[in-house]
Amino acid sequence: MSTKVILRSFLESQAAMIKDGGLDWLDAASDEITGCGLEGMEDTRFGVLLSLASRKLGHSAKRSWSLSKSEVDSAGILREGWNPTHWTALEAARVHLILSRMDLELESGAQAIESAFRFADEGELCALYRSLAHLPGGKRFVWRAAEGCRTNMVSVFAADVLDTPYPAEHFDAVAFNQAVIKALFVGVPLHRLWSLDRRLSADLARMALDLADERRSAGREISPDLWLCLGTFSGERGLAALELEIARAPRLSDEEALFGPRAAVLALGRAGATQRLREIIASGDSSLAPEAELALGGEAMQHSWSRFVAPTLC
Amino acid sequence: MPTTKRFFDPHIHMSSRTTICYQEMAEAGIRAVIEPAFWLGQPRTNVGSFIDYFSSLIGFERFRASQFGIQHFCTIGLNSKEANDEGLAKEVIEILPRFALKEGVVAIGEIGYDEITSAEEKAYIAQLEFAVEHDMVVMVHSPHRDKHNGILRSMDVAAEVGLDMEKLIVDHNNEETFRAVLDRGCWAGFTIYPHTKMDSVRMVDIVEANGPDRIIVNSSADWGISDHLSVPKTAGLMERRGIDAAWIEKTCWSNAMEAYGQSGEIDVDSLNRDQVVDQTQMFGDTTILRGQTPRVDEGAGVV
Ligand SMILES: [Zn+2]
Repeated sequence: MSTKVILRSFLESQAAMIKDGGLDWLDAASDEITGCGLEGMEDTRFGVLLSLASRKLGHSAKRSWSLSKSEVDSAGILREGWNPTHWTALEAARVHLILSRMDLELESGAQAIESAFRFADEGELCALYRSLAHLPGGKRFVWRAAEGCRTNMVSVFAADVLDTPYPAEHFDAVAFNQAVIKALFVGVPLHRLWSLDRRLSADLARMALDLADERRSAGREISPDLWLCLGTFSGERGLAALELEIARAPRLSDEEALFGPRAAVLALGRAGATQRLREIIASGDSSLAPEAELALGGEAMQHSWSRFVAPTLC
Repeated sequence: MPTTKRFFDPHIHMSSRTTICYQEMAEAGIRAVIEPAFWLGQPRTNVGSFIDYFSSLIGFERFRASQFGIQHFCTIGLNSKEANDEGLAKEVIEILPRFALKEGVVAIGEIGYDEITSAEEKAYIAQLEFAVEHDMVVMVHSPHRDKHNGILRSMDVAAEVGLDMEKLIVDHNNEETFRAVLDRGCWAGFTIYPHTKMDSVRMVDIVEANGPDRIIVNSSADWGISDHLSVPKTAGLMERRGIDAAWIEKTCWSNAMEAYGQSGEIDVDSLNRDQVVDQTQMFGDTTILRGQTPRVDEGAGVV
């Protein structure tokens, strides 16, 4: 099984979202691309096919699809760190076309991908960034992926860094930390940055704490995701910041507003402050005790932060 | 304000406007816009400038509009003024296929004549041929000088190349030109400028006397003195003058959707539903709103 094949099977199961004739068109286009062999399809034609996918698959293919749990699991088994839940059928079709090229391992194939990036619209950019983790010689695209972090289009940034193993596998510390802090700025769910827990560092914790100070001075909300960045690197400064956040809890009633203090409790667990967690449980504070229990039970990995995503953003 | 609170401005150059314009447009009920590719007030000197401009129309500007709940479509083409730089024009026409078939590109445009030179005609024909080959809609900008003659010639040439007249929108009409356009089976666009060309009062007179069929009101707001709220304001005037609500709806909403919808690129169902604004996308310092609280309507989608 390859990504190309599995994507085609996902599209089959989502056929109801695809315009009549769309999948036939996709297969013909894929064959046309593959048929160009190692020479590779010429840039303009390849770009036109990537564009046409939108017209041929129709408007519904641009809306979010609903894969089954087993489909999502099979994707993660095929490529660790890949989660296609938030892809669209159109993106899957475009990545399928990209993977139909026979020349991807060659320098000319990499150039063709770069040319497609340069002429891409918003939707094509998302698909192209999503494809990076599935291309051979992924390292060759590291400049391009970092470029995706510099975009102002949140959709494109999210496609570049979330639900993909690419950043954790290829970004150096500077690029990775920038991606994390940018995710906090633009408000995309950071727990979907694969392997964040393994890439935590003292530097990242400091950047996150600086950001927390900046937000607090400006009287602005601090994202609950920010506390994910401390890990075991919180230090005195981090623990103090977490306590400040937790101390807000009694003044908050709204469920979403409590995400911050509750995330800070989980972060205490990541920092190893078990004694403090027991105190929180003993205090009987019902808004924070569940997180303290979770953290004591070792359930404070990044995916636990999915509980702090507002319903509109999940 | 008119009771029909949904509008389509099918000719407006949003790249030249501020976020305040977007905000006011959304508040006035404008749900969708078309941004035709045009010139930037001064000539471009190389094809790279066109590539970046076209890219912004299908990328960042669309994204910017979406943050205000406004659907953004565009047209791609080489405008008539810059068609006169023949070397550059040739290069631009070569790269058109890389942009003209993108998502949300509803027509080839704005193309046509400015001074009615042979260079303009050459670029015009080449682009018409591309449109016919790909079954696309065409939007023609009528010249400011020698307008009547320019419009007739635009339609004749388009017909000769084989364009279906229903797929042709001729823009910037006035009292003297629109009948010829409608008689030919094309759509007639009217640009409401605050001081020149058409104003709202003259526009209302035309609709009153001729009915709403195949008439499309737009603002053509750009970097010059112009009004991004021309469409809702004209609709408001029509309402005060007692014009039928269905006529207002046609000229300020559905005719544009029908004409440009022939491209298949307008998701009419989603436009007819209530728009959902998701400004979480602009939250934070790297995006457009800085420090304001984002407006999130119930049901706003995911990044
Ligand atoms: Zn214009």
